[in-house]
Amino acid sequence: MKSLIQKDLFNISHNAKPMVFMLIIFAFIIIPSTDSNGYIVMSTLLCGMMVITSFSFDEHSNWNQYALIMPVSKKDLVAGKYVILFIATMVGSISGFLLASIGGIIFGKINLQANTLLELLFVTLAAAMISIISGSTTIALVFQFGAEKGRLLLLLSYLLPATICLAIYKGLLKLGIHITDTFIFSLVCCLPIIALIWSYCMYKISCFIFLRKEV
Amino acid sequence: MDTILQVENLTKQYPGFQLDHVSFSIPKGAIMGLIGENGAGKSTTIHAILDLIKKDEGTVSFWGKNLSSDPCLKEDIGVVFDDINFYETLDPQKVGAISKTAYKKWDNHLYQYYLDRFSLPVNKEIKTFSKGMKTKLCIAVALSHKPKLLILDEATNGLDPVMRDDILDVFLEFVQEEDHSILISSHITTDLEKIADYITFIHKGNVIFCKPKDELRYSYGILRCKTEEYQKLDPADIIACRKEDYQWSVLVADKELARKKYKNAVIDNATIDDILLLYVKGELKNEKLNPKRFI
Repeated sequence: MKSLIQKDLFNISHNAKPMVFMLIIFAFIIIPSTDSNGYIVMSTLLCGMMVITSFSFDEHSNWNQYALIMPVSKKDLVAGKYVILFIATMVGSISGFLLASIGGIIFGKINLQANTLLELLFVTLAAAMISIISGSTTIALVFQFGAEKGRLLLLLSYLLPATICLAIYKGLLKLGIHITDTFIFSLVCCLPIIALIWSYCMYKISCFIFLRKEV
Repeated sequence: MDTILQVENLTKQYPGFQLDHVSFSIPKGAIMGLIGENGAGKSTTIHAILDLIKKDEGTVSFWGKNLSSDPCLKEDIGVVFDDINFYETLDPQKVGAISKTAYKKWDNHLYQYYLDRFSLPVNKEIKTFSKGMKTKLCIAVALSHKPKLLILDEATNGLDPVMRDDILDVFLEFVQEEDHSILISSHITTDLEKIADYITFIHKGNVIFCKPKDELRYSYGILRCKTEEYQKLDPADIIACRKEDYQWSVLVADKELARKKYKNAVIDNATIDDILLLYVKGELKNEKLNPKRFI
């Protein structure tokens, strides 16, 4: 599986320069016009989506056919994509946090107080977990429908969790339960567990799909 | 005779096409050529052998073991497809790094040796490579993890004769080791005439024959005659025949016997191309001499 991850990292790194350029440009656009939090979310999600790009590279070069003649299994191939999602998300969230902090200070959106930085860290954690939840869904969709159709369904995998959250939020409001800061704090603390369970389920679904497929 | 690869009754059904109970085996130290027209089932056979597609029926064993139950066998199998499967922004150095991580027996010195031998630049992106260079890179990768069996699916297609000759030399060197074998599918039959020890001919998903190449070369013949002479031929001697502009071309299994029997007829040596063409485009005459009998 290590070789599969290495291959994806080599492929993705080819797009590293334009990606860094894009993240810097967005920092200049988003941070002054909104705030640092929005930038962190954007950076994390954008980098997390690189896993779809890796699928496109694979499809273009008919990689799966070759990968399966190497000493790796179909399960390794699926697991490798989840590892790439994790790595891409981590890179996106860490760089997002750093650029958002620096940009926030430069543009006067944040100060160097511990509370502010803690809030940014909190947003970073939430963004990373959302990226993993949505990215996991996307991976399963791409295994089922292929990279091109998967790109179209990408919106679905990001909108679906957002819609579910909104529905829950409205449902809670109807029940007279108001969302407090403590509730949000507890929810974000639970996000890593939710993300872990969700990605494991998506991994299992992806394996089920891919094991039945012929390459 | 030790068998490296044993394929028995391999069957795969697609809408409009069936790979029908394909069987053959490759002994140690031998090169098996898989021939057939486009769409005959050569690639489907190779994909089924490599477990890339699900078999409807049949078994495939490498060194007596099943690939799906013993994935470590993949260490000993080198595969080259008709196109490169590494993304075009990678270069041979990165390809080597990926392969080194994948294969336990990867030999970096050997890989470097093949890169030098094939004059492949180490740091140049694959997208700048010609078709021949890409094929050479694939072969370098396939050989550098020291496999015992090479499987080549139309690997020499699209290459110029000089490049093909270079690559065929590499294959011949590979089988100098007595426990090494090659399965090579190609419709460039002249390549197979140069290097193959056995020929398996697949037509419309069926194995027409699986024979030693020398038997085909030295026994088979093409009898050419006019219609009047053709009508006098013993049907038992005809495998397949084809009416051409001014004459008949008839495939016979024993050219020496035919020379004695039909003294007025011209009997040429049969190339693999001739045999393939008569089977595919000609009329099959004698069921006793035809499919399955030679398997």
